[in-house]
Amino acid sequence: MTAANLADAKPSRPAASAIPVGPGRVPWQREAVAIVIGFAVLALLPFVFTDSYSRHVLIMVFIYAIVASNWDLSLGYGGVFNFGHIALFGIGVYAYSLLTKLAAMDPWLAMVASGVIAVIAAVAVTIPILRLKGIYIILVTFGFAQLVMQVILSQSDYTGGTQGIVRIPSLYVFDHNMVRDGKFAYFYIALALLAASTVFLRAFVRSRTGISIVALRDNEDYAVSRGISLVKQRLITLAASAFFTGVAGAFYAAYQRNASVEVFSMSLGTIILSMVLLGGTSTIYGAIIASFVLTVFSEAMADFGAWRPIITALLILVVMLAYPGGIVGMLNAAMAVFSRRGSAGRG
Amino acid sequence: MNTAADILFGGLFQGSLYAMMAVGLALVWTTIGVFNFSHGVFMMLGAYLAWQFVALGFPAYVAFPLAVALMAGVGWLLQATVVRPLIGRANLVLVVVITTLAAGSLIENGALVIWGPRSKQVPPLLEGNITLGGIGVSLHQIAIIVITPIILAALWAFLNRTRLGLALRAVAQNEDASRLVGLNVTALYALAFGIAAALAALAGIFLGGYRFMTPVMGADPLLKALIVVVFGGISSISGPIFAAYVIGFFEAICSYYFGLYWTPALLFAALILTLMVKPEGLFTRSGRGFA
Repeated sequence: MTAANLADAKPSRPAASAIPVGPGRVPWQREAVAIVIGFAVLALLPFVFTDSYSRHVLIMVFIYAIVASNWDLSLGYGGVFNFGHIALFGIGVYAYSLLTKLAAMDPWLAMVASGVIAVIAAVAVTIPILRLKGIYIILVTFGFAQLVMQVILSQSDYTGGTQGIVRIPSLYVFDHNMVRDGKFAYFYIALALLAASTVFLRAFVRSRTGISIVALRDNEDYAVSRGISLVKQRLITLAASAFFTGVAGAFYAAYQRNASVEVFSMSLGTIILSMVLLGGTSTIYGAIIASFVLTVFSEAMADFGAWRPIITALLILVVMLAYPGGIVGMLNAAMAVFSRRGSAGRG
Repeated sequence: MNTAADILFGGLFQGSLYAMMAVGLALVWTTIGVFNFSHGVFMMLGAYLAWQFVALGFPAYVAFPLAVALMAGVGWLLQATVVRPLIGRANLVLVVVITTLAAGSLIENGALVIWGPRSKQVPPLLEGNITLGGIGVSLHQIAIIVITPIILAALWAFLNRTRLGLALRAVAQNEDASRLVGLNVTALYALAFGIAAALAALAGIFLGGYRFMTPVMGADPLLKALIVVVFGGISSISGPIFAAYVIGFFEAICSYYFGLYWTPALLFAALILTLMVKPEGLFTRSGRGFA
């Protein structure tokens, strides 16, 4: 049995993928090739699914995947129980809507600006949680999300309050008609955003900064004593997880063309959080896979009506109880079985 | 005079409700060290069960205790299925957040299937209205203001004056030592969850008696309970109870002077400020355990 097989055989080892030492860590060249192949396959999907409904489902998968995988950065790698993450998405939605409607900003520029605004908001929410730990962070960030929602609701002159905002300007690609192409253009924009976000996240968690964040999570005292700044790294983590989340919010607003405070709701937060945990934390890919599984699963059960959320909840419970490592943990366990068989055959 | 009466009554009423909502959440946190995110759903289910028993023809004084007792069983069941098997896992707090959220969604949608989305109302604890200090109030609200401190005092007496209550506090303070002296920690966990669910059911009956109930009615009270618990400090039972009344009065004063729209924002701003200055809550000494 090779060293790599040995590592594969222990899937429960905590966050093995994030730590740059030891066997079993995939070299970045191999991972880059895998990413390119994966996204090339995804890019072919519109030619398989030519109807606009399937493409719509895939676009929603990509949006959720961006939000969930960025959440995995702060929650999984950073160990920061940031329950305000969904508010960063909501801030992106409203920033884009207000910038394009009230300030008449160019949609593409507004999308980037929304990401920047989400980063600023993330820094603002990080300052009060710098001294806090664990459950207190959940409560403050949860409070932050509610605060943002209340402010948006109360400023109804600008935000439409409970009515929301309608007729938000959409994105444009030269003179291409975005409405009558069966969501072709939106599919590729969403896919490009997911690709950019994924490459950014994976590069980030493989960098020295990413490793230091994991060190802080796993042994704060030791990491701090080795000269890692908790304040600086936590600010960087939250800010890094905010940009693409805000951009995804802006894209969502441009795509749906309306905005409401539903984006701050607990139900959306629950769904995205279950994607992060169902996929398996500290993997980035897990959240993306789980977004796909949960969204498609939920759409496939559209005929079940009220039973749909019940079945989804049961699925989440079963996976969480049986596989603490989520879907990626499940895949690792399956791989371990295969590699054991493989090495047995060789031996 | 009316201003003072308004604020006094509003503060007492909201404070009592918040105390009822939060105390169960605090009980579970102090004993098991997890946050039960299906606590709001427990309130909803308690209210619906009470409604169902009344609809079946039971008088309120039978239906309400029956619903509360049944909810204690539901609390035990939830603990046994989605919390207990996870104890000992590294990221326990986080995993329990998601499993209780999922279980809550399960119950919420189950209620939607069984009872439908149309809003219902539980009969009030007491019928009728009276005028007190120049403002009209319902007897139901008066009953809540009177009953809540009695229940909380009973809970305090249970936790401080009975062997079983002392055992619960022992588990909250030191689980390993409790096991060493022969306490059945598993059963005590179940007991804490059962009591918490029963208290939630009572809060749900209080709520269902003066506003319309829907399957999603638990979301807002859960949020309020979380705020109360954070404000009061999550290491004790009495802290959140004081905090509930402080928040009740804070809201009554804010909504009187600044209007309803700004009250939640002011409340959250106060919450975040509190946590920045005193992260362990307003009424906390140190350590986890009942005070």
